Amino acid sequence: MMKMRSLVFTGLSLVLSSVVVGNAYMQKKQFYPSVVYITKSNSSMAVLYLQAFVFVVLMGKLCRKIFFGQLRAAETEHLIERSWYAVTETCLAFTVFRDDFSPRFVALFTLLLFLKCFHWLAEDRVDYMERSPVISWLFHIRAISLITVLFMLDLLFINYAYYSTLLKGASVQLVFGFEYAILLTVVFMTLTKYLLHCIDIQSNNNWENKAVYLLYSELVTGFIKVLLYTAFMIIMIKVHTFPLFAIRPMYLAVRGFKKALHDVIMSRRAIYNMNQYYPDATEEDLQSTDRVCIICREDMIRDSKKLPCNHIFHTNCLRSWFQRQQTCPTCRMDILHVPRPQTAAQQPPQQVQHQQQQPPPIIQNMFPGFPGMQMWPPAPPVPPPMAQQGGTQPGIPVPDDTQGAAARTTAVTDTTSTSTTTAPMAGIAPPVGVPYLGPGVTIPPMPQMFMPTYPVNMMSGFPHPPTNMAGLSDDELREMEGIERQNVEARIQWLRDIQSLLDGAMLLISQYNTVAVNMSMDSIRTETLSTAERARTSTEVPVPLTSPPQGGAWSKGGARSKFSSPQDKNIRKAQSASSLISDRNESKTDLTELEGATGYTSPKEEMIPAWNDPKDEEHSDEMDEVRRRRLHHFSSSSSLSSFSKQDDETINTESGFQN
Amino acid sequence: MAGSALKRLMAEYKQLTMNPPEGIIAGPVNEENFFEWEALIMGPEGTCFEGGVFPARLTFPPDYPLSPPKMKFTCELFHPNIYPDGRVCISILHAPGDDPMGYETSAERWSPVQSVEKILLSVVSMLAEPNDESAANVDAAKTWREDRKKFNEVAERTVRKTLGL
Repeated sequence: MMKMRSLVFTGLSLVLSSVVVGNAYMQKKQFYPSVVYITKSNSSMAVLYLQAFVFVVLMGKLCRKIFFGQLRAAETEHLIERSWYAVTETCLAFTVFRDDFSPRFVALFTLLLFLKCFHWLAEDRVDYMERSPVISWLFHIRAISLITVLFMLDLLFINYAYYSTLLKGASVQLVFGFEYAILLTVVFMTLTKYLLHCIDIQSNNNWENKAVYLLYSELVTGFIKVLLYTAFMIIMIKVHTFPLFAIRPMYLAVRGFKKALHDVIMSRRAIYNMNQYYPDATEEDLQSTDRVCIICREDMIRDSKKLPCNHIFHTNCLRSWFQRQQTCPTCRMDILHVPRPQTAAQQPPQQVQHQQQQPPPIIQNMFPGFPGMQMWPPAPPVPPPMAQQGGTQPGIPVPDDTQGAAARTTAVTDTTSTSTTTAPMAGIAPPVGVPYLGPGVTIPPMPQMFMPTYPVNMMSGFPHPPTNMAGLSDDELREMEGIERQNVEARIQWLRDIQSLLDGAMLLISQYNTVAVNMSMDSIRTETLSTAERARTSTEVPVPLTSPPQGGAWSKGGARSKFSSPQDKNIRKAQSASSLISDRNESKTDLTELEGATGYTSPKEEMIPAWNDPKDEEHSDEMDEVRRRRLHHFSSSSSLSSFSKQDDETINTESGFQN
Repeated sequence: MAGSALKRLMAEYKQLTMNPPEGIIAGPVNEENFFEWEALIMGPEGTCFEGGVFPARLTFPPDYPLSPPKMKFTCELFHPNIYPDGRVCISILHAPGDDPMGYETSAERWSPVQSVEKILLSVVSMLAEPNDESAANVDAAKTWREDRKKFNEVAERTVRKTLGL
């Protein structure tokens, strides 16, 4: 019926055009006048246009016969569906370029439409390769020649559009250029698919990576298409108007690219999870099922994986499914959002353990490689000289600053609360010019200051080792070891820094000791007594730390220059240590990114006070006496008033903290 | 891929011919193309479609069973869940992700666990119990809801037509 009608139509148009041409020739007798006659007459032109259209359709049919043979039903359906969109879009494009409207323009658009049809058909045909069991030689010859011809034509038209735009400026050729560029990407995609299918057919067993390659090639062509459309949009808006006709294909391209990107990312994650965390199905697992992979309906003899939901599939089947969906095919469990089997199994018991025996195990966990560091003796080397000093100066009057002493102790023990350590540092910085205060007040707290901050960071920084290593695979162990080794190295580095810091402190103290012994005690006593009294009377006014009396006293002694340099050095060290600690804090955040890696759990922050409290008490018990003496000694210095003021503040914060 | 899709379709065909479920016949249109199937579905007993035999066509994608097949009745069928052109609209034929009706949870969508047999069985139950919440054919849904008698009449006429009466 349809064929009959088109045949009649073709015949009719042929007859009509021959009548028109014959009539013109009969009237004018000569070639040139008859051509002029025909072009002058609108009706004869209409007939000739119709004839041209019929010829184009016939040409198309001929090409189709050559390259495709008989079209399959699905292909025809596809073609008609797409052609309609293409035709409407072409009509929209006409409205933009109505000024250049000419037969040549229409002819070019028709040609474009035809070439588009052939690109789609080529795509469909190559897709069909996947389904048909037998591929003849004819198919290969046709496919290859078609792809080559399309490629050449696309290149030709792009070239033509490019040069015409260069010579004559922006015109409708811009549209053609972009259209053919996009068709060229289609050709590349088709070629890639064709090659992949060919390789697939050649290899006897299933080629598993084919889907991956397809996915990536789609991603790449999608990206190129998006780029092309964006460029086209921008240029068109600049040169002509908003290209309405390109909206739909552009939207499709963007959507396609987004989907491809999403697929690639998600499937990579899912497949990584599968390879990394899900165990291979054991013989027992297989025996408990019917051994049939539900995806391909074949027996599971090859390697197969067991998902966390205990469903078993072929590894390859799962891989290809994860490229579409990241769920279990049977129960639809989202495999990207489930706890991994290993951590899931070991997490709960470990946490319970922590809660049962609170502080000690945590400390052990914190310093697994350094048993000696566990308790971190709270600066034992520092107090003795101080105590000695206190002993050598029994006559020093003790100011009524029990409050100050308490403040001192709490301030010393409670540097824990300042995990950033910047506040204590600020407190240390001023005495640079007052070496007399330096060793006594600033140096001793330092070890203690670091001692608590370490655990704070350690706590959050280090994963607790799993209780049972037997359940971990080799890869996981290696991974864990990799992290652990870095951690241990970093820890050793820090410990070295701290040791040098302590050495510096010790050096300073011993120097200070010798100086103090050599000094005449009487001069100190009178000096300090007078300054202490002055300080007591003016507690409201903060006394500057570099107050003249001490400066004078020490410049008199000539020891100032001697002392300032180690002190500076020491402070620099302290600062570097603090920066180390802040580094440490950063590395902690880095480590939190490792969350989800094997066996890693983000430590519970609530544990910190629980750990600190007993320790603090312990400290204050042990150290109270020493500190009190020390403080009594130093309270005789004038600047203590400002310090005790600071300490009052710390007391307040401290009491708030402890409550 | 092609190989696995083909193997799986062959396995399903074998399964369907060995123990065919009641009221369903299905198989490839021809032996050369295993990706086009023809199915005959009998109208479920006790419904207005009883006695009818409805031919349908199943088109499988090359990546079957990762993507769902398409199903289209080749006869005229007035039903809320069948588009006027014969395409069947049931959730297990929709790949998770695209949601034409905007109501389906992914739990009832396509997954490789589904099979031709399951699809056809759900189509049978769809014939018995139309889901007028998500109508593919709005006219049919309206008639089904408001004028059941007329719906039954139309269904009976379709049944007769398919039987060539």
